[in-house]
Amino acid sequence: MKRPVYPFAALVGQERLRLGLLLSVVSPSLSGILVRGEKGTAKSTAVRALADLLPTQRIMQGCPFRLSPEEHDELCPSPPSAPCRSKLCRSNPHSSNPSSSNLEVATVRVPVVELPVGATEDRVAGTIDLERALQEGVRGFEPGLLAAAHRGILYVDEVNLLDDHVVDLLLDSAAMGVNTVEREGISLAHPARFRLVGTMNPEEGELRPQLLDRFGLCVSVEGSQDPLERVEIMRRRSEYEQDPEGFADRWADEQAELAERLDAARRLLPEVKAGQDVLLRIATVCLDAGVDGHRGDLTLLRASTALAAWRGRDAVVVEDIEEVGELVLSHRRRRLPLQEIATGAAPRPGGDR
Amino acid sequence: MRARRAPGGCDDPGGPAVTAVPGGCGYPFAALVGQERVRTALLLGAVDRGLGGVLLRGEKGTGKSTAVRALADLLPGGEGLRTLPLSATEDRLVGGVDLERTLARGRAVLSPGLLAQVHGGVLYVDEINLLDDHLGQVLVTVAGAGRVRVEREGFSGVFPSEFLLVGTMNPEEGDLRPQLSDRFGLCVDVGGEVDPQVRVELLRRCREHEADPVGFVRRWQDENERLARRILRARHLLPQRHLSGQVRPYVAELCRTRRVAGHRADLVLERAASAHAAWQGRTRVEIDDVLAVAEFALTHRGRHAVPPPPPPAPAPPPDPSPRSSNDDANDAPQEKPREGNAGGQERPEGQERPGGPSGGAAAQDRTGAGDRSGATGPDETTGTDPATGPDGQTGPDGGKGSDRPTSPGGEQVFATGDPFAVRRLPVREDRGARGRNGRRLRTRSTDRTGRRVGTRPADDAHDLALDATLRAAAPHQRHRRPEGADRLVVHRADWREKIRRRRSGTLVLFVVDASGSMGVRGRMLASKGAVLSLLLDVYRNRDHVGLVTFRGREAQLLLPPTCSIDVAGRLLRELPTGGRTPLAGGLLLAHRTLQIALRRDPGLRPLAVVVTDGRGTWGLDGPSVPGEIPRVARSIAAEQRVRWVVVDTEDPRGVRLERARDLAAQLGAQVFRIEDLRADDLVALTRGNLS
Repeated sequence: MKRPVYPFAALVGQERLRLGLLLSVVSPSLSGILVRGEKGTAKSTAVRALADLLPTQRIMQGCPFRLSPEEHDELCPSPPSAPCRSKLCRSNPHSSNPSSSNLEVATVRVPVVELPVGATEDRVAGTIDLERALQEGVRGFEPGLLAAAHRGILYVDEVNLLDDHVVDLLLDSAAMGVNTVEREGISLAHPARFRLVGTMNPEEGELRPQLLDRFGLCVSVEGSQDPLERVEIMRRRSEYEQDPEGFADRWADEQAELAERLDAARRLLPEVKAGQDVLLRIATVCLDAGVDGHRGDLTLLRASTALAAWRGRDAVVVEDIEEVGELVLSHRRRRLPLQEIATGAAPRPGGDR
Repeated sequence: MRARRAPGGCDDPGGPAVTAVPGGCGYPFAALVGQERVRTALLLGAVDRGLGGVLLRGEKGTGKSTAVRALADLLPGGEGLRTLPLSATEDRLVGGVDLERTLARGRAVLSPGLLAQVHGGVLYVDEINLLDDHLGQVLVTVAGAGRVRVEREGFSGVFPSEFLLVGTMNPEEGDLRPQLSDRFGLCVDVGGEVDPQVRVELLRRCREHEADPVGFVRRWQDENERLARRILRARHLLPQRHLSGQVRPYVAELCRTRRVAGHRADLVLERAASAHAAWQGRTRVEIDDVLAVAEFALTHRGRHAVPPPPPPAPAPPPDPSPRSSNDDANDAPQEKPREGNAGGQERPEGQERPGGPSGGAAAQDRTGAGDRSGATGPDETTGTDPATGPDGQTGPDGGKGSDRPTSPGGEQVFATGDPFAVRRLPVREDRGARGRNGRRLRTRSTDRTGRRVGTRPADDAHDLALDATLRAAAPHQRHRRPEGADRLVVHRADWREKIRRRRSGTLVLFVVDASGSMGVRGRMLASKGAVLSLLLDVYRNRDHVGLVTFRGREAQLLLPPTCSIDVAGRLLRELPTGGRTPLAGGLLLAHRTLQIALRRDPGLRPLAVVVTDGRGTWGLDGPSVPGEIPRVARSIAAEQRVRWVVVDTEDPRGVRLERARDLAAQLGAQVFRIEDLRADDLVALTRGNLS
């Protein structure tokens, strides 16, 4: 039996982090979260704990591209129970591919796919299927992590240590929600819409600006300064280490409550309204903060909407904007390289951080 | 080809359906908010694909890609939009042997690549400044010729390839090499909208689109179709154009006053003006048309590096005397780092094909070719990289560091001298070296992490490109395969290996003397300034940096190799000065640090920059021992993969011992004085490095 992960509900402190993570579960369009912090600040624990709270989704079971039934109807015009004849799968005549058999609609939990820092480009984007190429002389496509993360969460621990060319891959597909493969004789595009969740220790280097911008939210975590809180962390941690199952059982009620609340928020989300005053306030806040482009505005709107839903309201209020402002804007403020040392190069007030 | 275009439904809650602003699949062009100039440029590009493409430069999230993808919906049927991903390999871009059909027919069948498939349509490259040089070069060549030539395994074919090239980029991530940017007929600098009301409208529409994409698209359908018809009409009008009398002289004058390199700008400007007239439903081309498009055609062609900053308001009516806006920029010192076009001025001499922006790019072309053919050339040692450009610099008062005069312990923290633009140090040589030393198995086999850009015949199986190998073998299968066999027969001559390229740069380790002797007469200030300047250069090349300092009785690894330039800069600023000079210890620690890095990545070719006056006063195990420094220096110089540079901080006005020169000789290093690091003088030194 797999050891249960540390329950999200049992996390101590780290209010911002927890809020950020919960909001990105409520609203997939927030496109994920970046968690910055020193070693040992429970970054990864929190992210992994999140996996248990994710909702379910309907997919075509066995489809190597994790298509939803709707996507399958659009891209793969064959009845669900007939052998899959999708364009994608025809360009992927994988011998051992279950998609050559009948596909069924299944309900599964939204997956968390981990992208290891050392992953090769082939592994991430997908590559030619060696076995088929050698045995049959046919170009088959073997989907990579981007396909596996479609409609799920792509989790990168130490995202700042990713190789540049892998970052480029992420940028490409994050921008379009499509992974376009034009390599090694393979030419295809498959949907790859994922929420990017990353953790990093800023001491080990910063992210490239373009990638930074792809994270909807960003939160910096620090170790707790409250002795009592630290004691509580130690206590729970050791309880968990000694008896993970028992610990998870003890938190099962809280965990279920949390999941229920998330579910309610997700259902409410489409109903949440944002009035003209809210929109204007968002635009002003972003302009004042000196944020590049418009993605900040949009994300702030989405985050405020998600927060309202999380609080059980069907309208965004100005306080919502204040509350999530830091999560959305901290990593978007304009900043020149070396600004901290080469001061005076600040392009506009408020550009420092 | 439905799978090609934004597969997936918009209404799926599984992930962020929306990507760029305002985003979502199928955001209608007509519904774009603001960004008038972007829209105009794209539409003109669609009217006349011969314009050579549209480049959109701008900060993150300004809706660049959304606008481009929306454009595709306006084009007449059959003119699809194809995306060239950064991860593309050359065989897919250009085309090659079609594996299945070749096997089936027993003779080589060439399959067209992306460039041939996109014929008549739009080729979109997002983040085009990050596109590999090698692919960029192919793109330039094909775009110029209008056809693509496939040569593979002794078979060749020619496919027509005329397309509208659209590129988007964020200048923060580095510049576009001049040769590629010159290829674009039109260029727009995109900025965010600054009017809150416009931003609100944008938010409103995005929200509407997100909530009900299908209904949203339907609401804008009429408007979109009107635009599509207008494009068609303009295309019909275009051949009947006639220029009013003053247009040509005016275009010539405009290009002259803007000091544009070459004549391409004149032609493009005239063509763009014609497209503009056609778009307006006229056949007669007026001066006003020229004015309307002048900015698009000239922004990226100025000989001087700084493009005008994005104007705050969309589409300001062009100034009738269009030299005004740019002249200021030309005369002012550069303020934006990494925006330098680096085409014209200050190029190190001794390069082939001088003159004009393309002269600079030549060095890079050869780097690309070098990988393939194993060619050698002077570029391998200069390693000039015009795309990143050496001549950016920070703001005028960039170096005001902390001014705290003293810190606990009697040490001093000196301010950091103003940074200045440094000439390219010989950092980049590993790139060329890898191409040149194609036979160095060790380098190649351990370097399998880079991204594949192409393939070449191989004599060992270390990093085989399977697909290319199979394609090479495919045409011969008919006579190689025994009767009835169903497996492929691959011979050694078919082996192809991957040509890999890494963009992640090299490692620069700074070894900074922080002893008391550095404190006199502002030497530390100057040294910090020098190191800071080098750091900025490193940043632009995306190199990793590390920082070792030595003072008092020991050396310290202040910053293990990292790509966080910010941290390096802060540590440098706060670096206290005082005490003795444990030079030998510093060198040894630097050596150990580099060894660790080399073990992790044996393909690395690090550069170590020692900033010192060379006067060591403390030994490895106590007070200084004569002969120790030369012994240490010589032994660590035995590591061939590390290149050493000594920056001599000795005050030229004082008593000169020139110990740093001795040290440099022992290390086999080049030596610079701080003063020589200034851009003006470094040219000569970089050249001196060649010999």
